[in-house]
Amino acid sequence: MGSMFNVYTFAFEIFNFLVILAILYKIFYKPVLNFMDNRRNEIARNISESEQGRTEAEKLLEEYRATLLASRQEAQQIIDRAAKAGEEVRQSLLAQSRNEVAKLLENARKEIQRERDDALQALRQEVVSLAMLAAGKILERNITGDDNAKIVNQFLDEVGEIN
Amino acid sequence: MEQGIPVFYIFSIPVYDYITTMWGIMAVLIVVGLIVSSNLQKVPGRFQMLAEYALGGLLNFFGGIMGPELARRYFPLLMTLFLVILFSNWSGLLPGSSGTLITGFHTPTGTWSVTAALAIIVFVSVHYIGIKEKGWHYFAHFFQPIFVLFPLNVIEELVKPLSLSLRLFGNIYGGEMVAMVLLGLFPLLTPIPMQILDILFCFIQALVFTTLTAVYISMATAESH
Repeated sequence: MGSMFNVYTFAFEIFNFLVILAILYKIFYKPVLNFMDNRRNEIARNISESEQGRTEAEKLLEEYRATLLASRQEAQQIIDRAAKAGEEVRQSLLAQSRNEVAKLLENARKEIQRERDDALQALRQEVVSLAMLAAGKILERNITGDDNAKIVNQFLDEVGEIN
Repeated sequence: MEQGIPVFYIFSIPVYDYITTMWGIMAVLIVVGLIVSSNLQKVPGRFQMLAEYALGGLLNFFGGIMGPELARRYFPLLMTLFLVILFSNWSGLLPGSSGTLITGFHTPTGTWSVTAALAIIVFVSVHYIGIKEKGWHYFAHFFQPIFVLFPLNVIEELVKPLSLSLRLFGNIYGGEMVAMVLLGLFPLLTPIPMQILDILFCFIQALVFTTLTAVYISMATAESH
C-alpha cells in the first residue's frame, strides 16, 4: 500500500480538483448552460408568439373579410338608391318639360288665332271701304239714298256670310 | 514507479509528475472552456455545437439517473469529474505518458493517489449533498431496513470510494501495462488496435466513475422507504 499511495499527490489532486471545478463552473458550465437555457426559452417564446400572431392574423383576416363584404353591400345599396333617385329626377323633369311644351303650343295656337281674326277684320273693313268707293264711283249719278242703303246692307250681309 | 517521480518541490513538498500532468490537463480544459464560452453564438459553430452536445447530452444522461432537477444542481461536480477523468485517461494514450520518457508527464489516473483523491471528493460530496437535501434525517438510512444492519451500511458506504478509486486506477494502470507489454512483444502495428480500443475504454471508465457518482447522489437524496 505504501508504494501505491502518495499522500502529497493525493492532497494536491484534491486541491486541483476543487480549483478546476470552481474555474470550469465560472467560465464554462454557467455561461454555456445559461446560454442554452436562454436560447431554449427564446425559441419557445418565439414559437408561442408566432402561433399567437397567426391566430391573431387569421382573426383579423376574418374581420376584414366581413367588413369588406358589408362595405360592398352598402356600396351596392348606395348605388341602387342613387340610380332610383336619378330616375325619379329624370321622370319629373320630363313631365315638367312636357307640360311646358304643351303650354307653349297652346299659347302659340291662341296667338295665331288672334292674329288671324285681326287680319280678317282688317281685310273686311278694307273690302267694305273699297267696295263702297267702287260702287260710289259707278253709281254716282243713278243711285239714290234708298238704293244706296239697300245695296250696302246687302253687301254687308254677303260679306258677313263669307266671314 | 506507481508513486511517480517528483518534478520539483514547493517548500520541500514534492510535486509529482501526476500533478504536473493534471495541471496541464486543467490548462487545456480552461482554454477549451474559455474558447467556447467567450464566443457563444445563437447559431452555434462546430466547436460550440460539440460543447453544447457534450454538456446537453451528459445533462440529459444524468437527468435520467437522478432526475433533471438534481442533475442540473450537481451538474458542475459530475461534469468536472467526467472531464478531468476523461482527459487524464486520454493523456495516457499520448506517447511518453509513462512518466519515464518525458519528465513531468505521467497519466494522472494511472495512480491510486489521484483516483483516491477523486473518490474521496465523491464520498464527501455524496454525504454532504445527502445532509443538505434531507437534513439530519439523512442518517436514518444507515439504520434501514433494521438498525442491526448499521455496521454493514457503514461498511457499504466506506467501500464505495474504495471500489470507485480502485476500479479507475486498475483499469487505467492495467491498460498502460498491457500497452507496454504489447509494445515490448510486438512493437510494430500490434499496439494500434489496442490504442484505438483504449480511446473507447478511457471514455467508458470516465463515464462509469461519473455515473456511479450520480447513482450515489441519487441514492443519498432518495426518499427513505
